[in-house]
Amino acid sequence: MSQGLQRVQSAVSPLGVSRRGFLSGTTLAVGGALAADMRGVNGLRAEEIAGELRRGEKHVILLWLAGGASQLETWDPKPGAKTGGPFNAIPTNVAGIHVSELLPKLAQRMQHTAVIRSLNTKIADHGRGADLMERGRLDDPGLRYPDIGAVAAKELGRLESTVPDYVSLYTSTEGRRKGTSGFLGARYAPLFLAENMMPPNIALHERLTASEHQDRAALRDLLSKRFAAEHRSSTVGSLNSAYQRVQGMMASAGLFNVEQEPAEVRARYGPTQFGEQCLIARRLVEAGVPFVKVARAWWDSHGQNFETHLELCADLDHCMSVLLDDLQERGLLQKTLVITLGEFGRTPGINASLGRDHFASAWSCSLSGMGIRGGTVYGATDAEGHTVKDGEASAADLFATILQALGIDHTHEYMVGSRPTPLADFGSKPIQAVLA
Amino acid sequence: MRLNDEPVPATTNAPATTPPPSPASPADAPPAAAAPFVPGKVTVERTVRLPSITFCMARHQQTGRVFCGGADFGLHHFDPAVEKPETKPLSESRHSSYVTGVVNAGGTLISAGYDKSLIWWNAETGEQLRRIDSAHERWIRALAISPDGTRLASVGDDMQTKIWNATDGTCLLTLDGYELQTPHGFPSMLYIVVFSAEGTRIATGNKTGRVLVRDAASGDILQTIETPVMYTWDPKARRHSIGGIRSLAFSPDGSLLAVGGMGQVGNIDHLEGKSRVEVFRVATGERVHEIEDSKYKGLVEKLQFSADQKWLLAAGGDNGGFVSVWSMETGKLLAQEKVGSHLHDFEMLSDRRLVTVGHEQATLVTLEEAAG
Repeated sequence: MSQGLQRVQSAVSPLGVSRRGFLSGTTLAVGGALAADMRGVNGLRAEEIAGELRRGEKHVILLWLAGGASQLETWDPKPGAKTGGPFNAIPTNVAGIHVSELLPKLAQRMQHTAVIRSLNTKIADHGRGADLMERGRLDDPGLRYPDIGAVAAKELGRLESTVPDYVSLYTSTEGRRKGTSGFLGARYAPLFLAENMMPPNIALHERLTASEHQDRAALRDLLSKRFAAEHRSSTVGSLNSAYQRVQGMMASAGLFNVEQEPAEVRARYGPTQFGEQCLIARRLVEAGVPFVKVARAWWDSHGQNFETHLELCADLDHCMSVLLDDLQERGLLQKTLVITLGEFGRTPGINASLGRDHFASAWSCSLSGMGIRGGTVYGATDAEGHTVKDGEASAADLFATILQALGIDHTHEYMVGSRPTPLADFGSKPIQAVLA
Repeated sequence: MRLNDEPVPATTNAPATTPPPSPASPADAPPAAAAPFVPGKVTVERTVRLPSITFCMARHQQTGRVFCGGADFGLHHFDPAVEKPETKPLSESRHSSYVTGVVNAGGTLISAGYDKSLIWWNAETGEQLRRIDSAHERWIRALAISPDGTRLASVGDDMQTKIWNATDGTCLLTLDGYELQTPHGFPSMLYIVVFSAEGTRIATGNKTGRVLVRDAASGDILQTIETPVMYTWDPKARRHSIGGIRSLAFSPDGSLLAVGGMGQVGNIDHLEGKSRVEVFRVATGERVHEIEDSKYKGLVEKLQFSADQKWLLAAGGDNGGFVSVWSMETGKLLAQEKVGSHLHDFEMLSDRRLVTVGHEQATLVTLEEAAG
């Protein structure tokens, strides 16, 4: 649901947008009094603005480690500590940085990656933890915030784009959540793929040939433009835009089909579903999709934490490494931010089932690629990993950091009704140390 | 005060050693009428605090002491026969990761761990006698000692089984036969190895539920048994497995093989699958019993047949631990009890008494005949 939204300009111009250009757009927005919802914002002859705001494609691939991966078995190992578990730390290709031995391939790609070891996000239940980490804050009464995917879709998506702006691949059942566009409205809701990796209901009707489909679309487009010219209405414009997006979606179906990739590329990503989904994410990003979430679940290792991480870290290590390489080889890594994140981390203490439980007081995430100062570790936890001892960062700080890495000013505000609402929560501070 | 000197029962995996003293405790004395003992009740006697999560143990028959290893990378020992056992470290020297196997080879201890090493120890002095640093290429999951104490078997996540000369550390056999990856592209694990009572065969079990029975001298595969439920792989919702074969035991006459693990896990990531045991005829691979227990869930970590092989002892757990006794005539439950937290190993002190180890504690457990 849109909640009476318009965007206002803050003091600092984002993305190098000319103040004049932006203000002219803003003036149009306000003067036109069309800002009742996102259609109002998007319908504002906005291509001109968008050309500046969204110049240069930027993308995000969020590798969502649903259930909560252990920081001790990934980015913040504590070998030899009572809480450290059985795994060793290994050196990376960046002097002085060590990660868990379960990430040997990522360890050799640390030049792309910044690790934040000092998240203290306080909420250690799955639902609210996911809300917090994906939105950078919890909802207020009467105000539902958009998640990072929806914000990226709005801020980075092209108005004229025929590909989806926000795709969420979430075939695991654990913690499956559709994601929310909150007050940004349905326009920025994710294309949510939960059952299989091909969007449903986008195949051409069996009685239509491709040329018949194109002829129909052309006729419809002709009639629509004529109608729109005679009836100047934002609703008509929005409807036409929606049709174009549906047509674009149908044309995008091939993006979800990894069989269109050469066999050697598919083999490189490996046989697991997570590997296939990472490959789809690369295909989508290459085609211009701003935000792709790939959820890999069952990190919620209350039992057999070490067996779980042996299995899942091997998958993460391989697939993410191939993804980083592939993006780099295609010139996409400098335009794509790859994030590993979950609801929270896991307890330093090891329970009787050899598991680790939920823990949000001192945990880690990683940021790689676009806008990131690779080969960086920010923050530190104590010797056994119970508390943050240096550089404490909140969910809002992380949200702001992600926005800044994408070149989006986190202090920008949307007007939701009469309420100015910043992209990142009030008081949040980007972690400059990890930003390029 | 020493309470008793307990005999080692005629079970399958006990190494041959000097015969222990006669039992001093009435509880450990065989019934006068020599009727077969069938447990009808499991009772927790007392617990002993251990310094860390403990995965493995071995009883030193000469001294009666129990040696155990675990998450603090070291070996510790205590005397289960005294009223208030005191745990002591064997040595300041340690492995460099979790200790997952320890056996008594004729008075010398041999331990193994996730650091891939094998270490020989003087059980009296704690002196390190020999160390093989890269005994396997990946984690060592388990050790077994032949009944005569001369050969050591080890298994690791390199999916190899190795037979060693337990005296001089020479590797006698390196056996493949398992895939490094599961059919679904994830790393596999080789969790357990045991010797048969006569020492001529070994059995191994992996993550995907495959048992290989081999000739212990040649390594030839004599039987392959599949227990796919133990894999706990969920192909749709979870795409994840935390099961695998965690325990094996030959019957004393070698005709049966018990396989322990866990049943299918639901839509949650705890050890909440039913504890599971399958018993097979080794010669034919025919399954004799399929046992699942929904009362005490989790992994079956250790199995042992009674000397008359009429019943089977199973221990393991989820967060909590259990000891269960199953009839091998009917497959029905004879007795069971919750025992502390998750149990990883046990040793029989007699045919009526055992000591278990698990999450930072050891527990002395008594088996009693059913009332009436």
